[in-house]
Amino acid sequence: MKNSLSRILVLTKRNLKEILRDPLSLIFTLGMPLFMEILFYLIFHNLTSQFEMKYLAPGIVVFAESFLSLFVGLLIALDRSTSFLTRLYVSKTKSYEFIFSYALSMLPIVLVQSILFFLVGGIFDSSIFSFNMVLAILLSLVTSLFFIAMGILLGTICNEKSIGGISSIVIAGQSVLSGMWFPLEGLNDGMITFMNVLPFRNATILIQNVMIGINDVFKDFVLPLIIVLAYTIVTFVLAISFFKFKMKSK
Amino acid sequence: MVKAIRINNLTKEYKDIVAVDNLNLEINEGELFSLLGVNGAGKTTTIKMLSTLIEPTSGDAFIYDYSIKKDEDKIKEIIDISMQETAIAKKLTVDENIEFYAKLSGQTNEEVMESKERLYKTFGLDKVKNKKASKLSGGWQRKLSIALALVSNPKVLFLDEPTLGLDVIARRELWKTIEEFKGKMTIILTTHYMEEAENLSDRIGIMKDGKLLFVGTKEELFIKTNKTNVEDAFIEMVSGGNL
Repeated sequence: MKNSLSRILVLTKRNLKEILRDPLSLIFTLGMPLFMEILFYLIFHNLTSQFEMKYLAPGIVVFAESFLSLFVGLLIALDRSTSFLTRLYVSKTKSYEFIFSYALSMLPIVLVQSILFFLVGGIFDSSIFSFNMVLAILLSLVTSLFFIAMGILLGTICNEKSIGGISSIVIAGQSVLSGMWFPLEGLNDGMITFMNVLPFRNATILIQNVMIGINDVFKDFVLPLIIVLAYTIVTFVLAISFFKFKMKSK
Repeated sequence: MVKAIRINNLTKEYKDIVAVDNLNLEINEGELFSLLGVNGAGKTTTIKMLSTLIEPTSGDAFIYDYSIKKDEDKIKEIIDISMQETAIAKKLTVDENIEFYAKLSGQTNEEVMESKERLYKTFGLDKVKNKKASKLSGGWQRKLSIALALVSNPKVLFLDEPTLGLDVIARRELWKTIEEFKGKMTIILTTHYMEEAENLSDRIGIMKDGKLLFVGTKEELFIKTNKTNVEDAFIEMVSGGNL
């Protein structure tokens, strides 16, 4: 157990260094979402309540998490395309240790993302500074696990050339199916039901609800949390299974 | 003589080909054994099975009495591999790469320092220790890649085409380094460079279509083929005298 934990931490440190030393990852995980947060707030916050900072900042936090699918996926696909991972398979590291290390290395980035987007949001609208904001930041670590798991799964299946295109589906999914960028009033019931059974909208409303305050514990918190966690667990199980299969079929 | 590796009827079949066909071989402790063969002969597949990267279809092999089928974890404690391609973490420095592999193999901080000193000295890596691996020349990258396979002080080292793509100077430097390991560990080397096998090996094995055609010293190979160098002897063996 101690050895396993030690291996996970060693791998995590390496993964984090690899990601942080890629300037593109910082631009996409921090710079671009931050730019969109400021831009959309300045343009739209007086036009529709959807872009008030208490809704926009949590939405941006989850939107930025979707980019982690791309970066963790790219890291794994690149590790697989070189002999780097193959060599590590000769070490005693197990498939779940690899997976946990990829996931853990993303969490400090999620934390920085959340704190940054809420803090900058607070500069524009100081009313979001509250205990709820702290809870929302902590909960964002939970919602990020779904996107990280998706990235690990896609990085395990795709090669380094296709991972960019495939993982952009997750980013597009979060953009469109979260409902954060447009009003839902015009959508038919079928579409809204579709959005409600997927994790994207549930992850967004979970953080938004915690930020603005929960009225109905089950509807506003427990149900979206269960849906996000269910997708996260299934995706992690699939990722570990595929990773294990690839380890032996190398 | 202690046998480091015993291979018994080892076979690997894929859908439409038999990559390794009923291989039987014994390699002595401390020996440098070269496995030669044209592309697709089954050399890399053999090494991958021995290093537990892929499972055999049938047969078994024993590394110091540990079965590759049943004792994967035990085998992983005593072997390491340098792959055909350079296998390094490119955004880490040379120093960080060694530290990463050393800690992953469970070394303490003191042991990590010892590993660094040992590998700096053996490979001359101290000159580039603070450089990112991606900024190194091909020769230095390959040196680092092989050095990393030695971090854990393996009893058995697999070198899969270690000098592939290197210029003649870098290749000769690596030969010199590999020669320093001779006798200290068992080395199984695959190569396309016949001169490499001739200079480094204690014994040579020649594979073709997954089958082992010859095992012996280079002198025995010369006698068998009536040739005076490994390249001519190899061509004689694999072409059946048609070239």
